[in-house]
Order: sequence, then C-alpha cells, then structure tokens
Amino acid sequence: MNRALQTSATLLCDLLIIGAGGAGMRCAAEVLGKRPNSRVIALTKVPHPQKSHTSTAQGGLASVDPADPADKIIYHMFDTWKGSDCMADQNVVKKICEAAWEQVIWLENRGMHFSRNQDGKLSKRTFGGHTLNFGERSAFRAVFEADRTGKGIMDTAWGESMKQGVSFLNQSIAAELLFSDDQCVGAMVFLQKEGKFARILSRATVLATGGSGQVFKVTTNCRQNTGDGLAIALQAGLPILDPEAVQFHPTGIVGPGILASETLRSVGGILRNKDLEPFMEHYAPKMKDLAPRDLVSRAIETEIRQGRGVLNPDHHIEHVWIDLRHLSQKVHEEQIPEVSGFFKQYVNLDARTELCPVRPSNHYHMGGIPTNLSGQVLNSSQNPVPGLYAVGECAAASFHGFNRLGTNSILELITMGKFVGESVLEFLKEAPQKPAEASAVKTFSRFSEYLEGRGTDSIGQIRDALRTLMTANVGVFRTESGISEAIGALKELNERAQKVSLSNKSLAMNQELMQRWEMDALLAVSMVIARAALARKESRGAHFREDFPERRDEFNHHTLASMTVFGDVALARRTVDMSVFNAGGAHHENFNLIERKY
Amino acid sequence: MEKIYKITLRIHRYDPDIERSWIQEYRVDAGRILRFVDLFRKINDEQDPSLTWNSSCEHGQCGSCAVRINGKPMLSCELLVENAVAYFNTTLFDIEPLTIAPVVRDLVVDIEKAYEKVNRAKPYIIAPKPAAEKAAEYCITPQELEKYVAATRCINCFCCAEACISSPKAFLGPNALLASIVRVMDPREQEKTDRLALLYSDQGVRRCHTSKACSFVCPKEIDVAYFIALAKSGRFDPNP
Repeated sequence: MNRALQTSATLLCDLLIIGAGGAGMRCAAEVLGKRPNSRVIALTKVPHPQKSHTSTAQGGLASVDPADPADKIIYHMFDTWKGSDCMADQNVVKKICEAAWEQVIWLENRGMHFSRNQDGKLSKRTFGGHTLNFGERSAFRAVFEADRTGKGIMDTAWGESMKQGVSFLNQSIAAELLFSDDQCVGAMVFLQKEGKFARILSRATVLATGGSGQVFKVTTNCRQNTGDGLAIALQAGLPILDPEAVQFHPTGIVGPGILASETLRSVGGILRNKDLEPFMEHYAPKMKDLAPRDLVSRAIETEIRQGRGVLNPDHHIEHVWIDLRHLSQKVHEEQIPEVSGFFKQYVNLDARTELCPVRPSNHYHMGGIPTNLSGQVLNSSQNPVPGLYAVGECAAASFHGFNRLGTNSILELITMGKFVGESVLEFLKEAPQKPAEASAVKTFSRFSEYLEGRGTDSIGQIRDALRTLMTANVGVFRTESGISEAIGALKELNERAQKVSLSNKSLAMNQELMQRWEMDALLAVSMVIARAALARKESRGAHFREDFPERRDEFNHHTLASMTVFGDVALARRTVDMSVFNAGGAHHENFNLIERKY
Repeated sequence: MEKIYKITLRIHRYDPDIERSWIQEYRVDAGRILRFVDLFRKINDEQDPSLTWNSSCEHGQCGSCAVRINGKPMLSCELLVENAVAYFNTTLFDIEPLTIAPVVRDLVVDIEKAYEKVNRAKPYIIAPKPAAEKAAEYCITPQELEKYVAATRCINCFCCAEACISSPKAFLGPNALLASIVRVMDPREQEKTDRLALLYSDQGVRRCHTSKACSFVCPKEIDVAYFIALAKSGRFDPNP
C-alpha cells in the first residue's frame, strides 16, 4: 500500500512535555503554578498519565529531614557519590540532596498519602547504601507511602498538573524533534488512537520519556519503556551520556521481572542453584547472600552460565532459586508477606514450602540525554540546546553516576522536575511569543518505510532475539568478545527489522506499527549501550567487564555517544564534576576518588 | 514440572477502519504460570501481530490491561493460566473489552472517556488547608490515615465500574466516587461543599444499588462498597 502521509494539524503551545510520568508532571505543575496561563501540552505513550512507570516505584524517597538531629545533607551527598562509584557530578548531587526535603513537603502539602509515625509526622525507613556519618551506620532517610510511593507521587503530580490545566495527548508519541536555527521548537507527533500526525510547535520542549529497560529480556520496566526519548535525541544528532551504565537487580521474579526485595535475603533467604547448593559462599564467603546487589547479580549469572541454572519452561528463562522454606511462620507472615504474595500471584507457589525462582533483572538506566544542572539538554559540544530540556530516567544530569542508590530515582525526578520547570519559566520570559516554524524531515519517510516493508520476519521474534542478545552479551557481565559479537548481531537484526512487513497497514491504534517504531528505538539504544560498554575497559558501578575487573583512573570521565546513522557511533568524553571536593570544605576528602566498599 | 495447557481464546475484535466486529478464536499452548498478557503477546509473536491490546506495568500497579474474561472484569497481567483454568473450570475463554468506554480497536477502549468521570470528581486537593508550620508536613495520625488509606490504593482500572449494576449513564461510578470520598475524608482538604454536592447529586452515591460487585472484582481488594456506604449513610453530609 502506498499512501501519502500528512500532517493533520499544527498545535501551538508554550511548553510541550514529551512523557507524562512523575518528572514531566512535576515540571508541568511548576510551570503552571508560577505562570498560570501557559499553554502546556503533555504527551504520553501510555493510555493515561496515571499508567506511567513512575506509578510502580515501591520503596521510598530519600531526603534528609532538617528536624532530624542525626542526619545531614552532606551524608546523603556522600552516600550518593560513593554509590555512583565516583561518577556522579557533585554539583548535581549537592543541588538535589539540598532540595530534597522541600520537595517532600511539596508532595505532602498537595495530598500525597505518606505513611505516618505515631506523632502524625512522616515515617522514615532505611535503604541500602544510605548511611549516617560517612558510612558509620544505616540512616532512616526514606519517606514512603507503604509499598506504593511511586503511585503516590504520580497521582499527586498528575492531579496538580490537571488541576492547573495541562492538555493531555494520551497514547501518542513524539516521532521527531523539530528545530529552527539549532533551537528546538517542538516535535512531530503521532496520535496513535486517531492514527494522525500532528505538528506541535512549542516555545520550550521537555523530554521526559522514562527508561529503556525493554532492551533486556527480564526487566522491571513497563512494556512501553523502549528508550524512545534516547532514540529521538540520537536521531536529532544529540549525544547520550554514559549509556553503558545500566543497573540490574539480582532477584527479579521469573518471568515478569517483578522485584523480589532484598528483604528476602536480609531475613535469611538462601540462593541455591540447580543442585540446590547454596552458592553464594563461593563468591562472598563472609557476606554470602547479603553481599551487595551487583556482586549477587554476577554470582547468579555465573551459576547460570556454568550450567547450574534452572530453565523455566513457561517463560524460557534461566534462573536460580531463593529458598525461604526454612524461615519461621512468623517471618513469613510479618516480614515478607508482600513479596511472598508476588510469588503466589505470578508464579503460583507457596514460598513457605516451595523454592522460588529468581534471576537478575534489568532495573534502571543511569545514563541518558545529557543535561546541565537546570535540565537544559547539552549538545556534543556541551552547549545547551535552546528550548530543549530533559528530565527523569531518560535524562542524565548525572546524579547517579554508574550506580543508583535505592530511593534516589524518585527523588531525582521530583527535584529535577521542579528545576526544569524553573528553567523553562526563565526561558519563556525571553523566548518569542510564538514558536518558530519548522517541519518534520524524517517522520513521513520512516513511517512510509514501516508501512511498505515486504519481508517475512516478525517484529516479536526480532525483538526477542535483541533482548536475549543484550542480556547475554551486554548485561551483568561484559567482555570484549561478547560485546563485539553483539554489535555484529545488532547490525543483522537492524537489517532484518528494516524489511519487516506489517500485517495491518492501518494507522489508527495499530499496535504493530507502534512496535515497529519502538523496534528502531530498541536497536538504537542497544547499539550505543554496546559501543560505550566496549570502549570502557574497566569495571565501575553497574558496568562490569570480566576482562577488566578493576576500576581504572584513566576512565574517570563520562562517555558521550552519538549516532545519527545506525551503527556509526562517535564517542567523546565529559569531565566528572568534582566541585564539592575541589571546594575543600569540611569533609571534602570524602568526595575524592574513594573506593566503593561496604 | 512442565505442564502444558491447551487454551482456546475467543477474542472479541473490532476494526475501526471498516467498522467491523467479530470473534476470533486462537489456540495457544501455554505453561501453567503464563499470564493472560503473555498469551496475548504469544499470539502477536506467533500467530497474529494485528491483535491489539493494552498493558503497561504488567504487575498489577497501573490497571491498563483490564478486560472481561468469561464475563468478569480482571487485570490480564494478574491472571495465570493455571489459576484461570481452576477458577473458571474450563480452558475456553471469552476475552472482551470493557464496556465502560467506546472500543478503539480489539481489546483497547478509549479509557480517556472513562476517566472523564474521575476528572469530574477532582482527584486532587481543591483547597489545601495550610500546614501548622510553614514548610512542614501536616500532622495526620496513623489512626486517622487508616480510616481512608485503603481508598487511596485505587489504580483506576475501571473493573469496579464495569461490574457495577447501576446505570453507567446516570451514575458517576464507584472509582470516580472513591476519588472524591478520599478527599472528603482527607483532613488536608478544606473544600467540602462542592465535593458533597457531587457525592449527593443525582449522579452520586444514591444511584448505587449496593450490589457490592465493585468490592468483589477490585484487583487491589479495596472494599469500594464500604466507602460508598459511608457516603450513603449521610456521614459526610452536613444537612442530610
């Protein structure tokens, strides 16, 4: 079928937000709160903002309560720096940690239902890597809403932005960023439900598209987290910062990837291989099952690679067991009822009497579209792109460096969401009242190619091959030969994908067409992850090279990866900001290149 | 232990381009712990890429994947093959889209239309009471929070609205009312007049037939009917 694709409408606005999750909505609320008559359009690929991935965050939000006599902001900064394996930008760490409590109060005052202590104040709990006095003991620093903190944030940020009049375009994607004289002036948008293309001209544009976990076979991410924001940034010639920094959680439940909390191991759960051997004693003789996340992930992967994993016949995924059978009834009932509930719900087994299947599961992308402290997107020359901002998991101001601490992700999205809002407000003061004209360059040719493909391959099979490949070769363990092999295979998969024929050529609510578009995003993101991982010949944070197991000083820099033509990746460097160390204040020595040891 | 179920799915389909509806039968060999979303994906990958359905988080937190399975509204990400066979005592399943909003294609409904009712209930604080101290949190005791916290767990999957026996045209529906009731019970909300006017309007709680179907089907196990009953009892109404 050959048909001319066309733009159905042009919409004008002050602010276009691509992605209506927690970060995008916090930004919208900030802009409309201070500038109530702004025209703000928020685009989301999911059917409704409330269905965004932010809603699934469980544990909590780290922030130092100024009323807490034991905790200090500098401790939180230190934990974040140490956790990042000395790759976070210290000016960003300082800004976010300092702004944390105010944002917690912002959420609370707007109706988030935080859990409370007996005094009616916000309850706090501990989380891995969060300490007092530079690692002395655990800090009670995370506020939370039961086990649904992300839902509380999402509902609050969505409610506030709706209250103030955001226009939502649900089930829609941004296919291409629009530029005029190097300034971003909006995006070409595909409205899935209607099957129509619209041009949105905007004075400021914020990318807030979330993560890219679907690159891997088992992930805790939503079905839609296919790295679209990174892909359209790459397509526009912009770089991606630290794409190789991908976090895995050791115990995702087979096969949906839902997290089985670290609590299971802290209450005495034992990881066992196919032969029921408690294998952690070979990898961490002292800490055993309580060793840090990355070490446990590598131990599980090693067992699986050496043939001591178990193949789940239903999901075709190899895993190990976590044994909870020896734990007392009291522990099961009082300490792990919810995770036990997940095993019952998704694997249909009783954790009190049966072994539970787990394996490392992709969780978070520390890398992303590079921004400065205010969320302005930086181009390859590290200059801000006028009118373009990025926030949330798709962005990287580099708060997390190469390894993110639990509870720091939703802290980042809520604080950076506010800062980006402030930055947009400043920009709107100066930008012309009407956005400049610009037209899409690639959108129609790409979509025409999708609709005209004549191959016999299936998108599902190519996607499955890609996810299996990335998990095996560019996942928890990486080696030069494995990554090189993956790069070759990705090129082949890309060729196959370009030929796919769609069984349904309709434009309206055509899931297959969307998956074809997402396939390009998955391929692009996979390629930059692989190329950056190949170049980083060291192990740091979540990036582990078997052939270079140590951290090396010559790699004390961020990666910047650009790719406008598939496979043609250009790599550059960005200096890590060490302003806190360089300022030389009290405790500054803790912000030097320290060892990440717990 | 490997066990394979031979499942037949009769999926209600709709093609908006030709405005045609039909029922299509798919046979799938499925392992015991595959979920219904896994079956839909398997159909896409192996048999029919054109079948369209919705899901997002796929672990019961977002509510995007609600459909009717053998007449019962459920989250297809939470229903395992093994449990479905045991619960319905069959390997034949009718899969239909929810009826609370127009169908866009196949199993995808225009959820925005359904959300219009939630939006009317204003799912946010309209007029926040100032906190006792500036830049501090409100004081809410756990006992006070406990009275309404269950109602805050709603994910707007619309299973309750689907199961409700009251006329959907004349009734706001259980999840929309729940959104308002949460804020009526929230000590931080000062605006009660408009909320009560909505709750006791001719589309409000008095339209409820108290079948408790909402509580019965809620995937988050919220006793929706209890909260509606609180409102019906006149408990929130200053002038009953």
